Amino acid sequence: MAAALSGANTLAPRRRRGNPSSGRGWRSPAYLFLLPGFAVFSLVMIYPTVQALIMSLEKWSPAPGVENTFVGLANYAKAFGDPIFWRAMANSGVYTAVTVPGQIVLGLICAVALNRALAGRTAFRIMVYIPVITSWVVVSVLFKYLFATDGGLVNWLLADATSLMDQGVDWYNGRWTAMVAICGLGIWKGVGWTMLIFLAALQAVPESLYEAACVDGAQGWQQFWHITLPSIRRTTLFITIMLVIGAFNVFVSVQLTTNGGPANLTQVPLTYLYRQAFNFLDFGYGSAIAFMLTALIFALSIGQYSLGSKSAQDAAA
Amino acid sequence: MKSRRTIGIALAAISGLVAMAACSSPAPTQTSVSTPPSQSQPAGDATITYWHAYSADSQEITVLEKTVIPAFEAANPGVKVTSVPVPYDDLHQKLVTGIAGGELPDVVRSDIIWVPELANLGVLEPLDTAMGDFQAISQAVYPGPLATNKWKDHYYGLPLDTNTLVMLNNPAAFDKAGVKMPSTLKEFAGLADTFKAKDVALYADGNLNGWNVLPFIWSFGEDIVSPDVTKATGILHGPQSVAAIQALYALYRPGAIPAFVTQDGATDPADGFSQAKYATMMGGPWMYPILEGSFPDLKFEATMLPAGDGGSISVVGGEDIVMTSASKNKEAAAKFISYLLGEETQKEFAKIGQMPVLSSLAGDLTAIQPYYATFSEQLKTAKPRPATPAWTEMDTRLEAALQELFLGGGDVRKTLDSLAAEFDGLLAQYQ
Repeated sequence: MAAALSGANTLAPRRRRGNPSSGRGWRSPAYLFLLPGFAVFSLVMIYPTVQALIMSLEKWSPAPGVENTFVGLANYAKAFGDPIFWRAMANSGVYTAVTVPGQIVLGLICAVALNRALAGRTAFRIMVYIPVITSWVVVSVLFKYLFATDGGLVNWLLADATSLMDQGVDWYNGRWTAMVAICGLGIWKGVGWTMLIFLAALQAVPESLYEAACVDGAQGWQQFWHITLPSIRRTTLFITIMLVIGAFNVFVSVQLTTNGGPANLTQVPLTYLYRQAFNFLDFGYGSAIAFMLTALIFALSIGQYSLGSKSAQDAAA
Repeated sequence: MKSRRTIGIALAAISGLVAMAACSSPAPTQTSVSTPPSQSQPAGDATITYWHAYSADSQEITVLEKTVIPAFEAANPGVKVTSVPVPYDDLHQKLVTGIAGGELPDVVRSDIIWVPELANLGVLEPLDTAMGDFQAISQAVYPGPLATNKWKDHYYGLPLDTNTLVMLNNPAAFDKAGVKMPSTLKEFAGLADTFKAKDVALYADGNLNGWNVLPFIWSFGEDIVSPDVTKATGILHGPQSVAAIQALYALYRPGAIPAFVTQDGATDPADGFSQAKYATMMGGPWMYPILEGSFPDLKFEATMLPAGDGGSISVVGGEDIVMTSASKNKEAAAKFISYLLGEETQKEFAKIGQMPVLSSLAGDLTAIQPYYATFSEQLKTAKPRPATPAWTEMDTRLEAALQELFLGGGDVRKTLDSLAAEFDGLLAQYQ
């Protein structure tokens, strides 16, 4: 950290000497290099986003040549008064609260375990990572059958094979039992990714820190708590932000296992907006839901980043 | 810093303007931008794209791509047909995306319930004006399936295949319980306990939507909307509709209808049916090749749906064939549609469970497949689902309301009361 600080000090005077009009101003070649990338970004991100924003303010029809009616914030107001929308938001909150810590804890455990010299280490790493590269569609259908009421493997294990229960559970007949299956799928499929990122971070922790800690008498758990965790703090922040974004965008698994049912109990924002747009052709309402979700994720990401950066600075200080 | 911010604002403004310019590009004010057939390319040297949801689980796609299309291309030199199979569950979404993006194919095999919606969006070519032989074909097909193509003043398609649901029953389950398949709903429901004593569920189904529930409401003697499809109040919550839902709920509670009926297809009843865990399930003619393929040893029978006070009333299913307004090869597309409705093509598909729509083939049906006898009989009284663009949303709401009712045990009458009011609002949008 000291080296980093001294680096910052040596750079500071140079930055002050820079001439905005010749090197770092808007005529800087750097912007020219950025331009093609920004043009592509505008085309594939900004343009559709602006289109969707306009759509959310209209009663929009997909039909060719139809004049769309401007309805102001009516679609947003509709969402505020729609109990299914709020339930969908709550469900994605529950999904986030369960799957993000689940993936982080299990991913970190796997990473720490597989960071040691261990026979068959590569094979174990591949096994944990395989769910990440499998298709969401395939594993969602697989989980649908695993948790099926009649003939599902989970119920067979609980009721027939082990007699842990008298009879199987109607997993997809209740909000929370269905969320167990959906969250289980989310964690199972995501652990490999968090493990991989954590592994990279763990390998970057200098061995000298552990040696110094060892000299000071710190053992296994103390080393993990005082050396490993602080060293991978920024990685953890990155993983958390990415997982939260991903969790609020959960779609395929819910669409294919419960389709938001029964009775809309397991709707999440994306399945609900998909239904509004593509089943009911209410693209205006669907876009409004998309923007409200975007705003929430954006605020959460900024909040996490600020908190994470602040705590990293506090730790450094 | 200031200059960087200026650049950022400028670029944002430019991209915003680009977006707005794109949004405000001149748009035609008519709801349809169809090109008259005379302006489209002639039939020679044309490629037509055909979207359909023929099943890969049976021989449907093989027959289309290996037999029907090659025969059509041989008979129409220069015309090529590109077959695009789309899973049924994805086809509606693909059509909507295609409409929004202006990327529709020339010909679509559409579920009969989507035709009013697509016609209302102005993306279908009225076939009664686009096809020279429309009159002749329309007189050769059954009037019921033909009616599913009418929206306002035009016919936007022709029926391609028709079907209905009958009751499939597993004789092994009936033998186990020592009973016979009854002909009335009252007797049918009365068998629930007898089957339960043998660990068999009376009747299994995977969904509670209109396709699965309307036969019960109709057979009890009620409907869900008025004949002119303008209102549901006074009909959907009538005493017989309430009685029909109560009867289903009374079977669901003790497990005579397995719990997964509320799970929107999470469990396929065919698996348990094949093992005689469920005595009956509803099925269409397409189920024969699927069941024979998946469970070669299964013996099953088909009977008419058990009758209620309103008779034995099933639901009309099937597909229509439509041409899009955006097609650049309307003449070739019209030829392809005519070919699909030819006797030979209809017979070819009849062999694999696609029931023909030509009345002239009625006498040949049982010779082609003996199982068509029950379906032909059931079709005589079967009813179509309401022909309205609002049906998709009505159906979704019906299913969700019934799921809530079955899981929560609410008041059937109150549920149907509020559903009727919701349906009225949805139907009013298209009057």
